[in-house]
Amino acid sequence: MDKNKVMSMNRRIGRRLNSISLPSEILINIVLALFCLMCIIPFIFVIIISFTSSESIRQIGFSFTPVQWSMDAYNFILKLGDQLWRSYYNSILITVIGTVISVLITILYAYALFRKDFKLRGFFMFFCFFTMLFGGGLAPTYYVCKLMLGLSDNYAALVVPMLLNPFNVIIMRTFFQTSVPTELIEASAIDGGGEYYTFFKIIVPISKPGIATIALLNSIAYWNEWFIPLLYVRDAKFFPLQYLLYRMQSQADFLAKNASMIGPEASKMIANLPEHSLRMALVVLVVLPIACAYPFFQRYIISGLTIGSVKG
Amino acid sequence: MKKVISIFLSLLMLTMIFTGCGKKIDNDSNDTGGDNSNVNATDAPDATDAPDATDVPADTAEPTPDISKAVTLKWYLEGSNVTDDSEVLAKANEYLKEKLNVTLEPIWGTWGDFDANSVLAINGGDDVDIYFTCSWTANEYNAFARNGAWVRLDDPENNMIEKYAPDLWALLPDVLTQGAMIEGSSGYGVYAVPGYKDIAQQNCWDINVPLLTKYGYTVDDIKNTDYYGFGEILQKVKEGEGEDFFPLLVEGAVLERMVNNSIIVTGDSAACNILSYYINPVDTAAEGAYGNKILNKFETPEYKKFVEKTREYYLAGFIDPGMGSANQANDLRSAKQLSGEYLIGTQSYALGYEKQASKERGFEVAMVPCTPAFVDTTSSQGAMMAVSTASKNPDRAMMFLNLLNTDPYLMTLLDYGVEGVHYNIVNGEAVFTDTRANYIPWTNGMGNITLLPPQEGQGADFWDGFKAYYGSAKEIPILGWAFNFKSVENEMGALTNVAAEYALSLSVGTIDPTEKLPEFLQRLKDNGIDKVVEEANNQLKAFLDAKGE
Repeated sequence: MDKNKVMSMNRRIGRRLNSISLPSEILINIVLALFCLMCIIPFIFVIIISFTSSESIRQIGFSFTPVQWSMDAYNFILKLGDQLWRSYYNSILITVIGTVISVLITILYAYALFRKDFKLRGFFMFFCFFTMLFGGGLAPTYYVCKLMLGLSDNYAALVVPMLLNPFNVIIMRTFFQTSVPTELIEASAIDGGGEYYTFFKIIVPISKPGIATIALLNSIAYWNEWFIPLLYVRDAKFFPLQYLLYRMQSQADFLAKNASMIGPEASKMIANLPEHSLRMALVVLVVLPIACAYPFFQRYIISGLTIGSVKG
Repeated sequence: MKKVISIFLSLLMLTMIFTGCGKKIDNDSNDTGGDNSNVNATDAPDATDAPDATDVPADTAEPTPDISKAVTLKWYLEGSNVTDDSEVLAKANEYLKEKLNVTLEPIWGTWGDFDANSVLAINGGDDVDIYFTCSWTANEYNAFARNGAWVRLDDPENNMIEKYAPDLWALLPDVLTQGAMIEGSSGYGVYAVPGYKDIAQQNCWDINVPLLTKYGYTVDDIKNTDYYGFGEILQKVKEGEGEDFFPLLVEGAVLERMVNNSIIVTGDSAACNILSYYINPVDTAAEGAYGNKILNKFETPEYKKFVEKTREYYLAGFIDPGMGSANQANDLRSAKQLSGEYLIGTQSYALGYEKQASKERGFEVAMVPCTPAFVDTTSSQGAMMAVSTASKNPDRAMMFLNLLNTDPYLMTLLDYGVEGVHYNIVNGEAVFTDTRANYIPWTNGMGNITLLPPQEGQGADFWDGFKAYYGSAKEIPILGWAFNFKSVENEMGALTNVAAEYALSLSVGTIDPTEKLPEFLQRLKDNGIDKVVEEANNQLKAFLDAKGE
């Protein structure tokens, strides 16, 4: 009787049986909404600035309500022409190729570490973990990559240095440990499956959520990388988008800082530099594609989390 | 959560990599510097060419050096805006092949990437032969000469200047060849070829003439007074032009130097100068009021007087508050200069700039100098070309530098482009075509620019005036000296942060000096400014003693 009453009340205001009390739900919603705003407002702000006229920026600085709107920044970018599309192409190319290869390498390495019957497991675990804590330093890395491996001014230079991230290997290994039962491998072996068959036909399909997670991490890392191009690429043909943006920014900073050293020439060069709105427009162009890729991966990541928790 | 951890850990790794690396590089370079104090170029991983280098001194009697082996020279430049160099290089290489048997491969560094990239290339031992270097980029001339990155050009055992570039050395003004003499890894000598460009410093008041005339003043009225006497003129113009008009357009740091006749101390923190040397405003070759002493810039009575006056001007509404924001100041200044929304501005001057500025801004601009033009370490080392110790062909690199700086054809070709394609000569002046947009190297960063045809609007006799102006510029007494802050590195770091917090705001008047200046001085003291000043003075004294000998 009592139970029925509660249920009917809940039904009347459209609430489900397992819902929490109304005030706390409102509170939680407000908190989450605020959090969402905090995440999204900077981006909206960037978009607004990219449509602000430079005159308005000069008068009142950055503002949500500029006195004057303009498309100048985007027009300028379209005039940038070849270099922009070239950089877009480069960014997409290295992101796709880099993600595919690095995911393959990462899961293969992690799978070997996960297999208890692999004798050198301890050594390779240490080998991987050690590099996570101690690096060779910048100059030796540069020397090895550029002069010994010939990674300079080619696409390999943009892809190879980031192929294996030890941290991803550890994530993946842990994922295998929690979600792949050893019995499955034994069963596959009994049914006559070889190592490659077991791995690609049995392990990979049930590890999709984990793979999607590291694929996302890798693709974001490749897309956002500007430091590696800075080190190894001098030919504008190979510039990815992020590096193009970085160069514009640091060019402006450098000229501003050293204006008095370079002499009066500098003021002319500063006047020719892209304005703030243009930089923001570039940010928009850089962020959009990767933001579009996110929902696609997100589906797997969420299901990955669920599977993990159910299995315990 | 995984992402949070991953971000945290990657940050940790990055910091470790960077800190680890900074130390590492220094040690490495110091070691090599110490080891090869008397032998050049053995540092390069393949030392097969070393016999070449040692052979040559024995053959000094031979007038023409051996160039039978074809070599490629990599040349790292700064400030370029080059997207298509194929045409220029085809011509240049044809010419160089014939003259020196050299193929040139320029690396067109830009303002955006040169700093980070050149330092890495040097420390990583890249096979670049010639680097642009100067007193204000990250691959700073003095510091890298001490670390053994540059070949000493006048090494007594292999004097490449005498062998390959006597005519170039005869042609350069004394202030340049003197300014290039520094204490490096192989002793006191020349480690780079200085570029003959606008080598003198002169700060000028940048005057908006039409506006000044409108209020019944002439440029002479500005000439006859100084910063402390501008008040009346500024007041009148401010009243006439309204509340939103700010007649005094200043760059904080430059304004302070102009008013107090202080100069940049080479080697001082690049982010914010805290040391000062005071020059003599009448005769720059003589000692200033404080003698050959380095001072804490903010402690002097001059500075106090200056900030108080500036505060007064600021409160009267003569200075735009936007000038106190480091991020905005430059954009704001460029914009206001172009639109003419100022009466008096600050400008570091180069010969002919008033003409150029008048043309760009569309109204008459006059420049009123504060001191005679002078040459200090910073400006004499303003653009140089150094031969890298990693170069396998330092001799050929030096020959190339000599040819570049003495041969008008080669210099013009590399700097302006191909005649008829990138520029045309009209009435003795170079007029650029649209194709030049694909090939704009930084003119002043390349070398002896007096070899070039004058640019449009400069007048056909531009270089005569140029040589007269810069030739007559006097050197300051401490020319050639650069501060090496290695031993007080930590103090410098802390002081730079403190100075960044106060200096600009004080110099444009946005904060009250009666309250903030003592606070600022106290914090400088707390962070060890006295130790830095003392160290600088010790170094200066040692330098002057060595120079006097």
